[in-house]
Amino acid sequence: MLSALIWIPAIAALFVGLSPRSWPPAIARNLSLITIAITCLLSGALAIQFDALEPLTQFRETLPWIESLGLTYQLGVDGLSLPLVIINSLLTWIALYSSPKDIQRPWLYYALVLFLNVGVTGAFLAQNLLLFFLFYELELIPLYFLIAIWGGARRGYAATKFLIYTALSGILILAAFLGVVWLTGAPGFDYDSVRTQILPLSSQIPLLVLILVGFGIKIPLVPLHTWLPDAHVEASTPISVLLAGVLLKLGTYGLLRYGLQLFPDAWAVLAPGLAIWAVVSVLYGAFTAIAQTDMKKMVAYSSIGHMGFILLAAAAATPLSLLGAVFQMISHGLISAMLFLLVGVVYSKTGTRDITVLRGLLNPERGMPLIGSLMVVGVMASAGIPGMMGFISEFLVFRGSFPVFPVQTLLSMIGTGLTAVYFLLLVNRTFFGRLPDQFSNLPPVLWSERLPAIALAIVIVALGLQPSWMARWSETTTTAIQPPRAAIATVSHPFPTPSTAPTPTNTL
Amino acid sequence: MNMIASTLPASNHPLAEIIYRIERGEALLPDAPDNVLEVVGILKSYGHVLDAYSINLCYIADHQFLVLFPFFKYFNGDVTLPKLLKHWWHDRINYEFAEYCMKAMLFHGGGKLDRYLDTPDFTARAQAAIAAKLKGNPVMQGVTAAFPGFLPEQVRQMAYYSALGQFWRVMSDMFLALSDRYDRGEIQSIPAVVKHVLDGLVAAAANPITYTVDIHGQPFEILPPEAGLTFLADAAVPYVEAVFFRSFPFMGTISYNAQARQIPAGVEDFTYGVLYADPIPVGGAGIPPTLLMQDMRHYLPDYLHKFYQQGVRGEEDIRVQICGSFQKSMFCVTTAAMLGLMPHPLNTSNPEEQVTNRHYLESWMNRFIESRLPNVQICEVL
Repeated sequence: MLSALIWIPAIAALFVGLSPRSWPPAIARNLSLITIAITCLLSGALAIQFDALEPLTQFRETLPWIESLGLTYQLGVDGLSLPLVIINSLLTWIALYSSPKDIQRPWLYYALVLFLNVGVTGAFLAQNLLLFFLFYELELIPLYFLIAIWGGARRGYAATKFLIYTALSGILILAAFLGVVWLTGAPGFDYDSVRTQILPLSSQIPLLVLILVGFGIKIPLVPLHTWLPDAHVEASTPISVLLAGVLLKLGTYGLLRYGLQLFPDAWAVLAPGLAIWAVVSVLYGAFTAIAQTDMKKMVAYSSIGHMGFILLAAAAATPLSLLGAVFQMISHGLISAMLFLLVGVVYSKTGTRDITVLRGLLNPERGMPLIGSLMVVGVMASAGIPGMMGFISEFLVFRGSFPVFPVQTLLSMIGTGLTAVYFLLLVNRTFFGRLPDQFSNLPPVLWSERLPAIALAIVIVALGLQPSWMARWSETTTTAIQPPRAAIATVSHPFPTPSTAPTPTNTL
Repeated sequence: MNMIASTLPASNHPLAEIIYRIERGEALLPDAPDNVLEVVGILKSYGHVLDAYSINLCYIADHQFLVLFPFFKYFNGDVTLPKLLKHWWHDRINYEFAEYCMKAMLFHGGGKLDRYLDTPDFTARAQAAIAAKLKGNPVMQGVTAAFPGFLPEQVRQMAYYSALGQFWRVMSDMFLALSDRYDRGEIQSIPAVVKHVLDGLVAAAANPITYTVDIHGQPFEILPPEAGLTFLADAAVPYVEAVFFRSFPFMGTISYNAQARQIPAGVEDFTYGVLYADPIPVGGAGIPPTLLMQDMRHYLPDYLHKFYQQGVRGEEDIRVQICGSFQKSMFCVTTAAMLGLMPHPLNTSNPEEQVTNRHYLESWMNRFIESRLPNVQICEVL
């Protein structure tokens, strides 16, 4: 089943990419939508069959590939990767659906989006370090072209910057992977075999630093973040949705999977520093967002701040904070995707994202009242208003991190308050007041433009009211990946645990 | 209307072009086929709405006189469950808007009606009606003794209910007749629309405005014929002043702060009337003109509905489009009122009379500078 999640879109991408250009472009769009709809259904089936009580990877598939390099085609899914696989399918479908029907070079575009989906899914499912690296690099290529070809005025600059940063990220990660295998003398790059090797702390720390910087670029963490606002501003709306919703999560996923779990001793040593780094990211992202006048840049800096919460939770590494980290990944993926979709609609109708120019868009007849209302829902969710998913994830992160890093957690909570500040500025300036004459004849917003954000809003509220629907998949896994550390305060679980989770035994 | 052989020098007024147009016998609104379609179409719809408003205002004046809790005042005496459900569903005529207009007239006053309501004669008539109404009601008699000014003020308000109901009766018939003439091909230009309205106003000018209420089978004259109140001077002119020009600051997207002097100190300087209203906020909750546009939406003639559907937003912004058309039509009615009150005939050849007319028109234009008049000079709805 896991291979199907990778190879169905891969085959479809090849088919779409190699199809005769004389065919109607609608075929490319519909074929892509159908393909990702199938992967959505497969992801759903995976979630149904997934054993929530099992902490280890499930649905494992192993094929030998290049034995001499230690590269095997080994896939598996656990509570950490399952929600990310599902959200990847969901957001890819929404991104495809939100793509303009008259997009230029449609065959290439849809093929690249499908390849992007392949790369991300593969990275989440890979159980071999080299295989992860291959998929991690694979998604870089289509994303580069998607920004460079279909982006805004400065797309060349933004795409190249993205390429340089993330290529560097890939090199650092590869170096860390090679280092851990060579230093441990592991027989190959299979994740489980590497994980059971023993490595002294003095060797763990430099390798973990490589991992932190490598994935820190991808997340991105301050000061490695400068590629992200440019990429978001220049990327088209569907690509921004994927970038914020899924691709950044590769960084945090990598941090949890290949940082925390491969180097738990070094993690324990560096964790206080990581928590401080998280605070810096959170506050820098929030304060910088306040200063923005471009709606997209504001949401982009908001992303930087919100990804800092995940680092804080990962640094604390309590069962609750790790659950919060997974929640925050999904929550941020859905909320930022929704916000980017809405900003995209505003931009496509008004021709600007400048909040000093926009005004009164909530006007019931000449504005875009539903889009404005959804934006209010989105920013409330992002600011952690109870009843929505943002609250659950931030509450879990803070509740789980506070016993370990109280000061850092309190400082990060200021970031949540600042989220309300900058997003209220955005909503107030853009949507309230009198609609200016220059925007009094805007084209109507179509239902096809509203539906994706409505769907995301429903999920955000539903999981805000019933977080256990998602927590049940991840709780066992996040409890199991807790590293061995002394004197971690015990925090009670907010959701009923199906049974006592097994104590992790696989350590370096 | 004939073009005059003007010997006047050029006007320095910012709206000089519009003054020249009036002097040529045209209207405040440029003559264009789309404008004719919009104005006549919306006046047909407005005629139907005014018909309903007029019937209800007269019903309230006649049958809800001093009813302390007039729960069913909008039902015109026909209280049934289906009507109640329709009322709650809100897909109904918003009689509240008629009351806004009535209150604007009561607030701003003007004309002999306003003066009469402060005379001893009116007070005596009101007290007699109040005494008859409160007969056998010791509670209300006690309340009235404690607050002697309360019920007479209610009677004054009832007088305005009746006066506005009578005024709109005439206007409704006039607008529906205009639509019939347009359908027969007799109206093809904006000046023809203005002439139809002017003729209607002139024909009804001397109609008496009276109000008699029946209490326990006994008639009580509140506004007697002897008061000498007439349609044009005591209802139409105060109405134009109160509703077209002044009105009062409606709640809306703009918050007025009186302490910051955002509201003029004197009510004579108010410019919140229909000729000044911003159509863009229409459609929002708490924006009273929305009620009127919502009501007119029910009676749009097909040709006007199709015209609106051709707009960028189609059906989505129909109430804003209706408001734009309505403002255009009200500038036509204002033109008729302006021409009807001209000091001298428009086609006079006497230079002194031409100068007087020019000054008269300039005094009107002074009030239009801040109005929506400049916005309707181009043939599109904003």
